Amino acid sequence: MTDHLTKANINLFAILRNLEDLCAMEDETKLIVKDCNISIQFIVKNGPEAFLILKDGKCALQKGRKRCKIKLYFKNPEHLNKMFDGKANPILLKGFTKLGFLKKEFPKLVEKLTYYLKPTDQLLKDPKYLEINTYLTMFTAFNAMVQIANHDRLGKLNSSRIPDGVVAISILGGGPSIFITSKSGCLEVNNETDKPIRAYMSFANTNIANAILNNKVDTYSAIGGGELEIKGCIPMIDNLNKLLSQVPAYVR
Amino acid sequence: MNINKYDKNRELFMKAVKVIPAGIYGHLGPAEGCFTPVSAYPFFSQQAKGAYFWDVDGNRFIDYMCAYGPIILGYNDEEVDGAAIEQLKKGNCVTSPSSIMVEFAELMVDTVEMADWVFFAKNGGDVTSFAIMVARAATGRKKVILVNGGYHGVAPWTQQEGYPGIIKQDVENNFYVEWNNFEEVERIVKEHPGEIACFMATPYHHPVFADNELPADGYWQKIRKLCTDHGIVLAIDDVRCGFRLDMAGSDQYFGFKADLMCFCKAIANGWSVSALCGIDALKDAAASVKYTGSYWLSAVPFAAGIACLNKLKKIDAPKHLQEKGKKLTDGLVSIGKAHGFDLKVTGVESMWYMRIANDDSFLLHQEWVAECVRRGAFFTNHHNHFINWALTDEDIKKTHEIADEAFHILKKRHF
Repeated sequence: MTDHLTKANINLFAILRNLEDLCAMEDETKLIVKDCNISIQFIVKNGPEAFLILKDGKCALQKGRKRCKIKLYFKNPEHLNKMFDGKANPILLKGFTKLGFLKKEFPKLVEKLTYYLKPTDQLLKDPKYLEINTYLTMFTAFNAMVQIANHDRLGKLNSSRIPDGVVAISILGGGPSIFITSKSGCLEVNNETDKPIRAYMSFANTNIANAILNNKVDTYSAIGGGELEIKGCIPMIDNLNKLLSQVPAYVR
Repeated sequence: MNINKYDKNRELFMKAVKVIPAGIYGHLGPAEGCFTPVSAYPFFSQQAKGAYFWDVDGNRFIDYMCAYGPIILGYNDEEVDGAAIEQLKKGNCVTSPSSIMVEFAELMVDTVEMADWVFFAKNGGDVTSFAIMVARAATGRKKVILVNGGYHGVAPWTQQEGYPGIIKQDVENNFYVEWNNFEEVERIVKEHPGEIACFMATPYHHPVFADNELPADGYWQKIRKLCTDHGIVLAIDDVRCGFRLDMAGSDQYFGFKADLMCFCKAIANGWSVSALCGIDALKDAAASVKYTGSYWLSAVPFAAGIACLNKLKKIDAPKHLQEKGKKLTDGLVSIGKAHGFDLKVTGVESMWYMRIANDDSFLLHQEWVAECVRRGAFFTNHHNHFINWALTDEDIKKTHEIADEAFHILKKRHF
């Protein structure tokens, strides 16, 4: 069972946010945004607000409002979700002269994102693709998980059972790490932390992380096989896993 | 000291995951069993005898989990297994139940102080679920009060909404209270007059991941009176503690009388039988509930149960198990202290819970337990442990030596 508000938050802060990493990691995406100087405000009535800034070859997505060159309005969270599914258009409030970006560069960015988030066995044989897909999938999953924890009814129940503290999630052997902070049942995801780590979830390498994140290996088997190590305050991880199991219902 | 290797264990696990969900599911498995790190733990046993089990690589472990409780006399106790084998020759799973069922029922009723009758099943969860059904049948009410962190099995009503496979309707008749908080129970009872069928709890609080807590002075007596005054069935889940605190039942140990008592683990030293004992006033309700299973009236576990209970009485098991537990845990605490570690022991000594309290992440504790397991003392990280009768002073001494070396390694690694 999914709800539109949670999905809208996931679409903005887990899916669209990937453009930040993609622009930093992938050469062709860098080229697309190289000369862009644009900002887009997303306003969802009774839903989340965010703005996307593309400037100097970099991309940043943040929560809230800012003076932007393009302003897109959505009647409700469902409207935003339909746009992400390609079944609706936003209401353009500002930026009629910037429509070129929305019609030219932006679809290319979305296409790139889709390419890297929808792997095939063939594509995963390319080490660079594997690296980018793993990275984006990991960040999508955990960012989506945080939105589920903070907005979805069942998600809130599960997150309320997570003890306070920081969980470090890492791909060993030089891969990325992310940090989930739990405080009074609210979750936050960060790329770094200066707080002590209370629990660890570590994937042995990129290949195993990719296999687990793409549901080719189940987590219980991976734990038993030593390919996924969990340690520390296990109830934090146990309840995170219950949240993670909700992600596929929202992100297909 | 010898450090265990687990090559065959790993090999077998890789086979298991292909044909069994999670390889080994549930509390005996590496995920739910919190094998941290998994490289320190055996996965599969080859044989067991007395206080030990051997894994498929031939490593021997002094076992402080006792199959998570059922083994109270030690593995393959000759008296218990002998009785079981004798019964097997006569018959086990038969169209008409064996007469030995009546013999076992009489022994249970004679042994458990509150019991006027007994109903047999297989697992602890069978009888906790039955207890709730009996309470509902007797009272015509649907709500139950449970303690946060209390474990009563894995039936949907014992789990939480949001867990895989559990829906809101499974748990919507549950109220949850904090352990030892009588006022909270009283408030719920008063706010829901005529709605509460049952209060179910373990005799003392033995959750996972948390220090175990004994009942506060007067707690059970106040709960007893509240239940009596409001027509609520007081059900005690004695599955883990049963016959480890008091042969007459853990309610006796804490000075009150339950209406229903659930037994399982120690009842037959590993043979599969569980029991719900009840007072006379609930006997008709118990008879009215449709509840049975293909193997519940099998005779072999009854024979084992008779032999087990008789032996436990003869050796005064609760007293001696607690003495062994005290000797072991006093030593562990003292060895930890000598190395600068605060090993906190809680609960009753024969089924103690322990954790290194120097950090709140359990990381040090998990490392120490792993080093102990690698050296042949089988502890687990976040569940209470169990003492069995076969454990000797020599085993306790060996365990102390292992613990000492494990603490030494931890100290060298971190301080």
